[in-house]
Amino acid sequence: MLLAIDSCAGTSAAIFSGDKLLSKLLFEDPFGHAENIGEAISQALSEAGITAADLDAVAIGRGPAPYTGLRVGMAAGISLAKTLKLDLHGVMVLDAIAHGVKGNVVITTDAKRGELFYARYQDGERVSGPTVISPTELAIPEGHQHLTQSSDAEAVGRYAIAALAKGVDLSDVSALYLRSADVSPSKGKRVSG
Amino acid sequence: MEIRELRLEDLPVLMELERSLFDSESWLESSMKSELTNPNTHYLGVFDPDLVGYAGLSSVPASFSADIQTIGVRQSEQGKGLGRALMELLMKKALALGAEQVLLEVKADNASAIALYKSLGFEQIDLRKRYYQPSGTDALVMRAKIRQPIVLGIESSCDETGVGIVQGNRLLANALASSMDEHAKYGGVVPEVAARAHLESIGQVLDKALLEAGISIDKVDAIAVANGPGLAGALMVGIGAAKGLAVAHNLPIYAVNHLVGHVGADVLERGSVQLPTIALLVSGGHTSLLLVRDLLEDVELLGETIDDAAGEAFDKVARVLGLPYPGGPQIDKLALNGNPKAIRFPRGLTLPKDMEKHRYNFSFSGLKTAVARHVEKAQDQGLELNHADVAASFREAVVDVLISKAVAACKAHGVNRLLLGGGVVANARLREYAQEVCDKEGIELRIPRFSLCTDNGAMIASLGAQLIMNGRKPSSLGFSAESTLDVTEVQAP
Repeated sequence: MLLAIDSCAGTSAAIFSGDKLLSKLLFEDPFGHAENIGEAISQALSEAGITAADLDAVAIGRGPAPYTGLRVGMAAGISLAKTLKLDLHGVMVLDAIAHGVKGNVVITTDAKRGELFYARYQDGERVSGPTVISPTELAIPEGHQHLTQSSDAEAVGRYAIAALAKGVDLSDVSALYLRSADVSPSKGKRVSG
Repeated sequence: MEIRELRLEDLPVLMELERSLFDSESWLESSMKSELTNPNTHYLGVFDPDLVGYAGLSSVPASFSADIQTIGVRQSEQGKGLGRALMELLMKKALALGAEQVLLEVKADNASAIALYKSLGFEQIDLRKRYYQPSGTDALVMRAKIRQPIVLGIESSCDETGVGIVQGNRLLANALASSMDEHAKYGGVVPEVAARAHLESIGQVLDKALLEAGISIDKVDAIAVANGPGLAGALMVGIGAAKGLAVAHNLPIYAVNHLVGHVGADVLERGSVQLPTIALLVSGGHTSLLLVRDLLEDVELLGETIDDAAGEAFDKVARVLGLPYPGGPQIDKLALNGNPKAIRFPRGLTLPKDMEKHRYNFSFSGLKTAVARHVEKAQDQGLELNHADVAASFREAVVDVLISKAVAACKAHGVNRLLLGGGVVANARLREYAQEVCDKEGIELRIPRFSLCTDNGAMIASLGAQLIMNGRKPSSLGFSAESTLDVTEVQAP
């Protein structure tokens, strides 16, 4: 049994048995991560008719995503997996969105502050990215489909199951921000004339 | 029928019943009077409408043990369950006080009382020969164990990632990771840097706390987490982790107030927060003056900073003096060789005109500017600047205003206790001056150990435990992070 958690856009949790989706909960509110994360996981478990003790592994969406919400789902996944002694897998969510899409695809998601997260795929395999671009830099090459949907726990779970079966390393469970914490040290300024 | 706490004015009827029940072995009125007035005893009476039964419990704070002092029910009312009702209430009280065991003595020939105690979980642990005089009856010493709740608490309101574990009033673990070093190059806490650091360290701090407590997660009875006030993005990491734990292990969750957590930290030192008390919480994020009449029910904000927090002022002045972050320890060190009276820096919001609106509020922004002006003036005029004097005089101004206002609040509210909390308590001069003034004014000063003063998970766990021990329901799973949470909101519903 795999629990997938994603809080890159909305807040969602999904339960898989093998590669079969048993349940999926999605709260779309883009500002309600802290509020909804507990309910999302708890309801996904109960709809699947299992308890957390039945889980074998956890997959978390590790971004890229605008900061604050991303961390909520990741923190929940980390504390849950750690204390239940479960394997924890990190999924780069653009990979999850591209998973199973045939042909050439460009994926962009909202990075806030007028920017986009970007990656390009061929038959589900990443060709370039992920990176942050401004919309003016966005060029969709000839013959590419452009996907703009956001990730959710179902996509994260499906990708994790397929990737693990192929032996892809998902052990990196650090958050992927693609931007620095956006501060520069203060030089200190004069207060008098 | 009514059961309520007995008061001093109940003494005559209490003595009447005591004498009718125990005759020559009854307590002296003077002993009973001191029992009723002792702050460490809790006496209950059953009125119908006259007093028909009573019982008392004693627990010295920090002892983890409570004693049933006495229990009596009028002959005509015995066998109706009044004794059991009183005992159950006192056992509940013992739980709330943090007792891990309750002891009592009972006459060896009082079969019905012994049966009652046994049914409440008491076991005989000792026998005292001829304990009751003048009859010479033996006493059985009986004990009931109380399992205090084990609570794991998470703190992430600023730059410290804390996970603490307590059992009742007992501290089991207090693990911490700090992102202070990462903030050093910015000269102050950067919210995004703090939040990122929380996520990076929450897993290992959790492990460390469980290891330190020597327990596995399945021994934990509840999760507590600070949901405000603090930096929203930082709080959310702790909340995410806490909700993950609650759901994973099917545990109740208590979302608690960070500032009230600071006040409650003294429970882990003394078994209780002596109340009422004025509490002064000073850190890099807060400067708050509270009047606490009841930790869970009645916390009032008297005043707070209207601009910079005291710790922030230390950081900013350190920068002006070319010292690294965090500024507090640096300025403390430098001030050792300085003259605190060398420069008279302004004391914010202490003028008569401020007394109406800002009597207990603080302002450190003007002070910081005054220090900067002083330094710039010296530099512009090519004068040699005595850094030690500047540090000492600045520190004196901060400490003076903090302690003066706190002591004024003690006096105005007739509360002769002052509790300090927050990271700035590490400041040597603050502690020294607070002690000096409190000694002079006859105020009892409480400063918990430093690891319980700075932001930490144990104080959050402890406040969660207090809520459970006092029978509070958990918070609902859908609570949010509240960066400006009011101090009156001790627990999220």
